[in-house]
Amino acid sequence: MIEWSESQQSIRQMVRDFVEKEIVPGLDEIEYNGVPPYDILRKMIRTFGMDELARQNFDKQIARDRAVEAGEVSEQPQADKGGSGAGGERAAMTLIPIIELSRHAQGLVTAMGVSMGLTGGAIMSKGTIEQKERWALDLLTLDKVGAWAISEPNAGSDAFGQMKTLARRDGEGGYIINGNKTWITNGPFADTIVLICKLDEDGVAPEDRKIVSFILDSGMPGLEQSKPFKKMGIGSSPTGELFLKDVHAGPERLLGGSEAGYGRSGAKSTFMQERAGVAAMALGMVERALELSVGYANERVQFGRAIGDNQLVQLKLAKMEVARVNLQNMVFRYIETMAEGRQMTLAEASAMKLYAAQTAMEVATEAVQVHGGYGYMRESRVEQLMRDAKILQIYAGTDEMQVIAIARDLRQRAGT
Amino acid sequence: MKLMVSVKRVVDYNVRIQVKPDGSGVVTDGVKMSMNPFDEIAMEEALRIKEAGNAEEIIAVTIGEQKAQEQLRTALAMGADRAIHVEVDEDIQPLTAARVLKALADKEQPGMVLLGKQAIDDDQGQTGQMLAALWDRPQATFASKVDLDGQKAKVTREVDAGLETIEVDLPAVVTTDLRLNEPRYVKLPDIMKAKKKPIDTTSLADLGVEAAPGLKVTNTAPPPERQGGKKVESVDELVSELKNRGLI
Ligand SMILES: Cc1cc2nc3c(=O)[nH]c(=O)nc-3n(C[C@H](O)[C@H](O)[C@H](O)COP(=O)(O)OP(=O)(O)OC[C@H]3O[C@@H](n4cnc5c(N)ncnc54)[C@H](O)[C@@H]3O)c2cc1C
Repeated sequence: MIEWSESQQSIRQMVRDFVEKEIVPGLDEIEYNGVPPYDILRKMIRTFGMDELARQNFDKQIARDRAVEAGEVSEQPQADKGGSGAGGERAAMTLIPIIELSRHAQGLVTAMGVSMGLTGGAIMSKGTIEQKERWALDLLTLDKVGAWAISEPNAGSDAFGQMKTLARRDGEGGYIINGNKTWITNGPFADTIVLICKLDEDGVAPEDRKIVSFILDSGMPGLEQSKPFKKMGIGSSPTGELFLKDVHAGPERLLGGSEAGYGRSGAKSTFMQERAGVAAMALGMVERALELSVGYANERVQFGRAIGDNQLVQLKLAKMEVARVNLQNMVFRYIETMAEGRQMTLAEASAMKLYAAQTAMEVATEAVQVHGGYGYMRESRVEQLMRDAKILQIYAGTDEMQVIAIARDLRQRAGT
Repeated sequence: MKLMVSVKRVVDYNVRIQVKPDGSGVVTDGVKMSMNPFDEIAMEEALRIKEAGNAEEIIAVTIGEQKAQEQLRTALAMGADRAIHVEVDEDIQPLTAARVLKALADKEQPGMVLLGKQAIDDDQGQTGQMLAALWDRPQATFASKVDLDGQKAKVTREVDAGLETIEVDLPAVVTTDLRLNEPRYVKLPDIMKAKKKPIDTTSLADLGVEAAPGLKVTNTAPPPERQGGKKVESVDELVSELKNRGLI
């Protein structure tokens, strides 16, 4: 794939029209004044039938799960082996709205992606059939809002090592959970929460505790959801804390139906998905930053000529274009990978995320520079791109953690 | 009743048009193409007529190169039931298009043929009228409102003097103006489904249509670049400037 197909281009145009007509006019209310993003996202999802697509895929998956359960087919996912391309088309249709939304408000993508992709995705990949039917479908259509909670005040990059949220068996098949989680996307408004914690067992040392995960509902006794934090950027993605005090979860809430259902490896595969999405977000942001910068470079006159006539400004524009092309190629590569029914390795996904996050930040910062004082003003929109870009280097694993993951993989493959 | 809607592949309205250096036309290589916006309005109107229970089938037609099937796919994704592609590699002139549509109308017997009032590539605005003449049926051009009433249609037209409402017997030709409706967003699942809907391919020869070589494009040139303006201080100065330039 070297270019969007004609039909993908027309989808992009359509989504762009929708975003500009329906979302941008009310965006500041969501970005800065605390209006939750979910209603407008739902409107977009319904307008383009993304809910219908999710339902179709859901039904297929459930039918397959039942066949596996009945022993009719093997466990292997049938995902487009041999490359029928449908997986690629699906990936493109998921990425296009991400790119288009990120041009104006990356936060909307974060809120949507955490709910549909991470939370819904975690349940779809590891949940039991009952759990999928009870919780996942509503998340995949955004009828309900989801949160995926691993980070804690003292457990960030070292999430598994430092985790203090604990579940204890209640002796009747259920669990009592205590602890708190922070910086949780959608935390303040989530209806459904995938909570990753540790199992507190007698005779097991803290460092040996197993990772277990639960599906919780808003309003359960002992579960408190904070108000949204004030943040540097992505105001359209509400972020908050979760407090758990003796929350009682029955066995039906144990993700995957057993204590081994969704542990470290489950959480890691969720990270991977997240990382691919970051490249698409970065692409949308870089495209917009570049467009705005080229426009301003042509328009703004100083010393009797357009600022774009200066080589120092030209260099910035050229670097932005290089970044745009690279990011677009990464997105195309991801689509091709899906089209062939293959999975990216963790290292590859990490490399993509690292490059995308750093590049988005660099480009957005330079876009502000090209705009000078105007770039520092909210009206210019490039200052928002810069604030929104910073989060890409922090969540879903910091830049430093991506470096570690890439290097570890390289060294392992070299056999050291 | 069947509805027939013609859709044309044109350079997207967002694209900055560039004229080929040799003046033989405009650059289309690597340029985003899409459905003529007025045809999108015609498609939308057909869908509304069908959704109101006044038509059973919508047939989308395009005349053009192989790639014009993309626009048929869009029409099918919007909701057309089937599509006909009249494959022609040369540029199509309005009279040829009208002859093709006449041949298809004879074959399909639609109750209404809907067309955009013009295509935004060469802005000719003649096909609908020519079709009505060849087909010997009433025409309601520049429609901004279409109401069906049994075997008649009441159509409000946007004319230079304002709005004019006429009644036409069906079958009739309707060409659509900008304010008729706002075309819907296409749903992603419908784009997938459209890939499975049938497209019949045919040719001028199959339809027994002769291309009309009446018009020849001799040269294509960009409009002259706009000159910078001048600020004047007073009405007097304005009047004398205009006089100086021989404009009044
Ligand atoms: C807006 C927002 C939304 C979020 N959404 C969610 C969510 O939905 N769910 C969720 O669970 N979490 C979420 N998080 C949390 C996020 O995943 C963490 O912030 C992130 O993992 C980093 O952890 P930390 O903040 O504790 O940083 P720390 O781990 O304390 O890191 C601080 C700095 O030290 C560096 N560092 C740490 N260890 C090393 C090392 N070994 N080598 C080199 N450098 C190191 C880091 O890279 C970083 O630069 C969100 C955070 C934000 C800001």
